[in-house]
Amino acid sequence: MDKQTFLTWAGRNARRIGVKKDLVVQAFEKAMTSQAGPDAPFEVPDTMHINMRYSYGGQSRFFREIFENKRLMGTRCSACSKVFCPPRTNCPHCYGRTEWVELRGTGKILSYTTVYFATSSYIKQVPYIVAYIKLDGADTAILSNVEMKDIGKARVGMEVKVVFRNQRDGRITDIYFRENG
Amino acid sequence: MKRVGIVGVGTTQFRSRWTEKTYFELAFDAVKMALEDAGAAKEQIDCVVYGIYNDFFERQFQPDLFVHDYLGMAPKPGIRVSTGGATGGSALSAGFAQVASGLYDVCLVVGVEKSADCLDYESGKSSPEVLKAISYTADMTYEQPTGRTAAGSFALTTIAHLEKYGNPTELQMAKVSVKNHTNALLNPVSQSPIALTVDDVMKSPMIAYPFKRYDNCLYSEGSAVLILASEDAAKRFRKQPVWIQGIGAALDWAIIGNRKDLYSFESSRIAAKKAYTMAGIQHPLEEIDLAELHDAFTGTELIAYEDCFFCEEGQGGRLIDDGIVEASGKLPVNVSGGLIGCGHAVGATGIMQTNEIVLHLRGEAGKRQVAGARTGLVQSIGGPGAAWTVCLVLERE
Repeated sequence: MDKQTFLTWAGRNARRIGVKKDLVVQAFEKAMTSQAGPDAPFEVPDTMHINMRYSYGGQSRFFREIFENKRLMGTRCSACSKVFCPPRTNCPHCYGRTEWVELRGTGKILSYTTVYFATSSYIKQVPYIVAYIKLDGADTAILSNVEMKDIGKARVGMEVKVVFRNQRDGRITDIYFRENG
Repeated sequence: MKRVGIVGVGTTQFRSRWTEKTYFELAFDAVKMALEDAGAAKEQIDCVVYGIYNDFFERQFQPDLFVHDYLGMAPKPGIRVSTGGATGGSALSAGFAQVASGLYDVCLVVGVEKSADCLDYESGKSSPEVLKAISYTADMTYEQPTGRTAAGSFALTTIAHLEKYGNPTELQMAKVSVKNHTNALLNPVSQSPIALTVDDVMKSPMIAYPFKRYDNCLYSEGSAVLILASEDAAKRFRKQPVWIQGIGAALDWAIIGNRKDLYSFESSRIAAKKAYTMAGIQHPLEEIDLAELHDAFTGTELIAYEDCFFCEEGQGGRLIDDGIVEASGKLPVNVSGGLIGCGHAVGATGIMQTNEIVLHLRGEAGKRQVAGARTGLVQSIGGPGAAWTVCLVLERE
């Protein structure tokens, strides 16, 4: 393929998949402008992308309280009294119904890791801490991010408290945790 | 329940990327190898089970339909299994049930996976986009948005183990990496045969603390296939069957925060126990001649020694320190190179591991042959922090 034909091809495909043209050119220029034989692998730019609207269903109040009122909620089983955060509308142990309870937002790190190599959606934010946090009053642990100045200081057993972001989207990442005290 | 034997195996080269073959073409190559190995014709297959993990990897939802079509298996019954990293093991478990139940005599189990067609255009690399495709198999409501990676889920559990028992240490993990990369040198289908030193591993860049680059398995593309037959049907084929004497599976809480503890994999312990009970194994370290364990990460392999009852809980690190799991040791683990050295073509991995054991039990493993091997263990795990585990005990007559 000659250079001009290639650039036109790259531009059309870049628009189709929603990627900048120069990135498509970079990825394909060598293969597409070299003298490959008729049986050489033929690669094309592509994407798989679905837009959605997602209902939180019975979990809605958890996200609404964070979003609107900066309140962290869990649920308590009306039969066996286990407290869940993340919340569940039904108890997985005794199949009882649960009711909403407000949590104080303090808790402990059960375990953590620091991510240095991430997915393409998060690669610009590394390094960051992801931890399971057992909130005071809850029987289960929630996965969340822990933000701290010295990232090497995260420890199992560390006391943390919830922080509500100023700009909230209605997603679980509207909250994160910081060392308490 | 009918006795089930493995009568044919085939594994393609595991590579970082196969641009010259699609997923259905890779599957075809491995199926042809397995049929030749068994001395079987396509017409002798009664049903097919497909192990294919991630639809994004294949750029095709329900990819089993198009593998089945390409293999010319229409109109035989076919089902697809997808259980994360354990997909291969689970496909085998489903195939076992098809034959053990008496529903079918001969079942073809096809594991195949691509991955590196995923491309992060910004960095020009596959890995970040492969990780993104994997991230959609994490819990989308509460967990995926935190940016925890697959490595992260196993790092979290490894840290919990380290906190409780003081191991695995980074040095012990590095030794596992060296062992598996070295073992891969003798495996002709391996993706990453490298003579590494402990120092190379320790100095490799951090991926998810405490895992460094060389503590991680690779994304691979490839296919592994085997043929299962009932005891009667096995006589139709030319190779001595390798028998599946024990099989165990479990699916733990996938949201790890719901588990009673984070430092061991309950699914792995239950699956191993069930497989041992069925096979009559009482002292795994004494009775098993070699094992292929799911070393997606070095720390995971060390915890697997404990979860497969090769030692007490908290003692896994000792088995690498004492050389017990080396190729020349008392219980060689991952002579194939494992996921770290041979590769992790997800849907194919559990079948690749099984095929490796089959070769050893037949005495056909060439330079890496474990002498006189009669009994082997396969462990296939998947999902966040080993949600799924499937274990198989294989024996030759």
